[in-house]
Amino acid sequence: MSELILTRNFHLPGSHTLALYRETGGYAGLEKAFAMKPAEITEEVKKSNLRGLGGAGFPTGVKWGFLPKGHPGPIYLVINADEGEPGTFKDRYLLERDPHALIEGMIISAYAIGAHLGFVYIRGEYVGPWRIFRRAVEEAYQAGFLGKNILGSGFDLDIIIHRGAGAYICGEETGLISSLEGKKGWPKLKPPFPAIRGAFGAPTIVNNVETICHVPHIVRRGAAWFAGLGTKTQGGTRMYSVSGHVARPGVYELPVSVTLRSLIDEHAGGLPNRRRLKAVVPGGSSAAILTAGEIDVTMDVDGLKNAGTMAGSAGVIVMDETVSIPDALMVVARFYAHESCGQCTPCRESTGWIYKMTRRIIEGKGRKEDLDTILDVARRGAGTTICAFFDGAVGPYISYIEKFRAEFEALIPK
Amino acid sequence: MSALGAVSVQFTREQLAEVRRLQALYPDKRAALLPVLHLAQEAFGHISLEAEEYAAGLFDLSPAHVHEVVTFYSLFFREPRGRHVISVCHNLTCHLLGAQRVLTHLKKRLGVDVGGTTPDGGVTLLSVECLCACEMAPMMQVNDRYEGNLTPEKVDRILAELR
Amino acid sequence: MVRLTIDGKEVEVPEGTNVIEAARRLGIEVPYYCYHPGLSIAGQCRLCMVELGNNPRPQIACNTQVTEGMVVRTDTSKVLETRQSIMEFHLINHPLDCPVCDQAGECWLQIYYMKHGLYEPRMVDEKVHKPKAVPLGPHVILDAERCILCSRCVRFCDEITGTGELGIFQRGDHSEIGLFPGKELANPYSANVIDICPVGALTDRDFRFAVRVWYLDTARSICPGCSRGCNIEVHYNLRRPHHNQGRRVARLKPRYHAEVNRWWICDAGRYGYKFVDDPSRLVSPSRGRGDAAVEIGWDEIIPVIAGQLRRYRPEEMGVLASPKMANEDLFLLKRLVDHLGLAHVDFSVPPRHPGDEDNLLIRADKNPNTCGAELVGLGPREGVGHGGARGILRAAREGRIKCLWVFHHDLLASAWPEEEIREALRTLECLIFQGSNANRVSAAAHYVLPSATWVEREGTFTNFEGRVQRFWRAVEPLGASLADWEILGRIGAALGLGPQPVRAEECFKALAAAVPAFAGLSYGELRDTGKVVSA
Repeated sequence: MSELILTRNFHLPGSHTLALYRETGGYAGLEKAFAMKPAEITEEVKKSNLRGLGGAGFPTGVKWGFLPKGHPGPIYLVINADEGEPGTFKDRYLLERDPHALIEGMIISAYAIGAHLGFVYIRGEYVGPWRIFRRAVEEAYQAGFLGKNILGSGFDLDIIIHRGAGAYICGEETGLISSLEGKKGWPKLKPPFPAIRGAFGAPTIVNNVETICHVPHIVRRGAAWFAGLGTKTQGGTRMYSVSGHVARPGVYELPVSVTLRSLIDEHAGGLPNRRRLKAVVPGGSSAAILTAGEIDVTMDVDGLKNAGTMAGSAGVIVMDETVSIPDALMVVARFYAHESCGQCTPCRESTGWIYKMTRRIIEGKGRKEDLDTILDVARRGAGTTICAFFDGAVGPYISYIEKFRAEFEALIPK
Repeated sequence: MSALGAVSVQFTREQLAEVRRLQALYPDKRAALLPVLHLAQEAFGHISLEAEEYAAGLFDLSPAHVHEVVTFYSLFFREPRGRHVISVCHNLTCHLLGAQRVLTHLKKRLGVDVGGTTPDGGVTLLSVECLCACEMAPMMQVNDRYEGNLTPEKVDRILAELR
Repeated sequence: MVRLTIDGKEVEVPEGTNVIEAARRLGIEVPYYCYHPGLSIAGQCRLCMVELGNNPRPQIACNTQVTEGMVVRTDTSKVLETRQSIMEFHLINHPLDCPVCDQAGECWLQIYYMKHGLYEPRMVDEKVHKPKAVPLGPHVILDAERCILCSRCVRFCDEITGTGELGIFQRGDHSEIGLFPGKELANPYSANVIDICPVGALTDRDFRFAVRVWYLDTARSICPGCSRGCNIEVHYNLRRPHHNQGRRVARLKPRYHAEVNRWWICDAGRYGYKFVDDPSRLVSPSRGRGDAAVEIGWDEIIPVIAGQLRRYRPEEMGVLASPKMANEDLFLLKRLVDHLGLAHVDFSVPPRHPGDEDNLLIRADKNPNTCGAELVGLGPREGVGHGGARGILRAAREGRIKCLWVFHHDLLASAWPEEEIREALRTLECLIFQGSNANRVSAAAHYVLPSATWVEREGTFTNFEGRVQRFWRAVEPLGASLADWEILGRIGAALGLGPQPVRAEECFKALAAAVPAFAGLSYGELRDTGKVVSA
């Protein structure tokens, strides 16, 4: 069993409290961090090969490096806790079971990027996690870890917790910023990127909860240690959310070099009822599906990219032989049609259209040309939109049909 | 207007103080719109058009811009809802593990369709996208609480506790 | 300046220019719906995608500012295929109801479909249904199914008028534009959303089902509704005279002028043309008051008017010119006034209710040519002390002025007490009214000289900033009406002033020669944008 970093305290009663967090070494990294120059921390994060764990997998230190140097106005740190990718639930565990890890990560990250105000955007449905996190922030203020002159360092940080109100698109970083600004969660045009012009017009770094929770460990134990846990291009462990047809669904923290097969069979206990594996979604619903024969891949960003899919949010959905892939695609297509924000045309129009086509196929009213139409519409729409939402939808549209075409064809009347 | 919606759309003095606090909290006052709409929903049960206009007034926004926000997010209720709201996840993992059975069972027990509220105003039933608790699929949200690993028996127990 | 290459052609444009505008300089059309040079960049329609350098993914041109050495391609197979794809997405939920859509013929969905359409309809599923034929306010009607959600109208109300009436509600393919329930789109500029709507979603209630746009012709013009002098187009229908209840002028549309009105006009100006084809139009010269009035020909009335003007001594005569008259009219009148040695001359009559005004376009002075009237010198003459127009009317009441020549004004709608005016008009021995439409002054007049309206003739107005701008003739003068300058020329000839101008341009030439502020201006060189008078 590899070392647990982010989830090491999850099994302890009271893991969400300041007392327990401190007992287990929490906030100890702050003094070391404050002794470093902000740029040194960014450099350390770069060297650690920490990559964004929300879905895009972008190198975190590089992202921080995009901030304008010597910016005179405010800079904001925004934590994306709008967990919404189907198949993913790791951030909920972090908020509920180790909220102080996020706070400590935010303090160090904010110090590194020069932010004095941090926002935590928590999806509206996460009422329980929100309450727990809110309590942790209060505790941190009382203990002097937040507010003015943290631990006598001269560094100030305030945290505002912002609740979402039900919209998957707010997990997209600029959709999240729009929502934080009190608007519809419409993603913003890039350029400018948030690091240049983000929340409230100020340079802004948006990072996922899990990503930021890694930062104190990187600072405390060094970039080399962190990088060494993973592959050449991605350091550390990450939390895999495993669900569906497995014996032990749940969150598994593992080095990113773990294979999908090992994750399913060894860690999650394999498939129950002696059923055979049919397919796996390896990185949340937006990741292309893998067949039973394609699971000998490592679960790092590049490993899955080379396998024609993506690590995404590391939400692993396991499907056994009883699953109807067309039915699964209909469910996924319904989701993307429901969650498309409607801002730009290709996504707004084609998510609804593709859902109608898949539903019609399920209802036995499919036409021979429907499958190619779905594939063509998906390909034509890909890469034409404001944000990555539609490209995410294209993953399942194309892979489900290409890999399980016969199953779809069987539903279409001759 | 519904018989349930007799509450006048006006924050109390304490609530108004909270509105002002929230507005001052953010770098831009408008950012407090979502929190204030959450507050309005808590106070008034749902966000009526009247409440939207009221909120618009608190933010110096046009009512249309508040309407855009309220109609965009799925957690803002524009019609009165039941005392309890049950949202059954129908996304992929839950679907694979029997969300439809859970939903069918709830529809039968409650005697309402998805989107409906029981005649006594007790429960509103919804079918929603992923709530990110797939490890406990099939699952649903009951008011603020997540309930997972649902079976018809467990659903019945939960319903009995609500009454 | 920034130099870049588009489709192999080099162009130099100012920094900050986007790729759409840079391409336009080269005559290369990049299609778009949501982009509008007067509004913020939305990037929603995704039609303007082009290839940039080696970037494998086409990018939107509207949100791409030029950079030195940038290489843009708008003509690659990838760009053309992307356009086809985007067009298909725009059309799958569109009702395709062109035969009953007012926008047909000037619809950018039609235009770009012809150029970039996929031409193979594949959408067989039920389309999304949305509200249809919803009046949004006094002027605008919405068909949400035709809307492509480009958000131009929303941005107009947010950014130009700051009124924020419109929004895009819901999400996904159920998104729709609309008003907050129970509200109206009734700001003073509301109808501009019709112009900027690239499709048939927002159409004009006033123009609804009036004429097919392909029967319309266009003349460049200037709005006569206030002293701003917004540049407009007059869209008129002569090809299907039985349509639109025989009204020749079908609608007015704004015409871009960078310094006057940019892309916009106000609703008051847009719909202020109805008097042109109104039954109240004066279509024949006439003599005799009220029921005794008899229509006569110009040949008959001109000598009569000349005779009246000769009959009275200068101090017994008054002239109330109008700031609605063109510079050419005012100048010929000024020449007549000087020839006759008249002192009781003014043009300014205050309205009963002060005009509304704002910081965008609308001016309180509802006349197009107050500045011109002042510069030509038809204001109260200093030192004479007749007290302006009101003083002239007082003198009429008191019998000191016996003959009054009123141009266009409905004096009874002025700020002055009605009884005061009535008494003046009653007391006059000779009241001459010259104007385009009947009013209470024409009803009281002994002689009526019918003027052509501004769309029936050409000329120039001088706006409040001193910009002299041309308007062109759209339709023939109604009945026997003539441009004011023509009427004045004929009277001048009858009074022995010598040869009179036969073209508006000649009037202007004489004006430029005589009035210092207009010195150096030439009618032809005014072109589309006009010229500012010298200070």
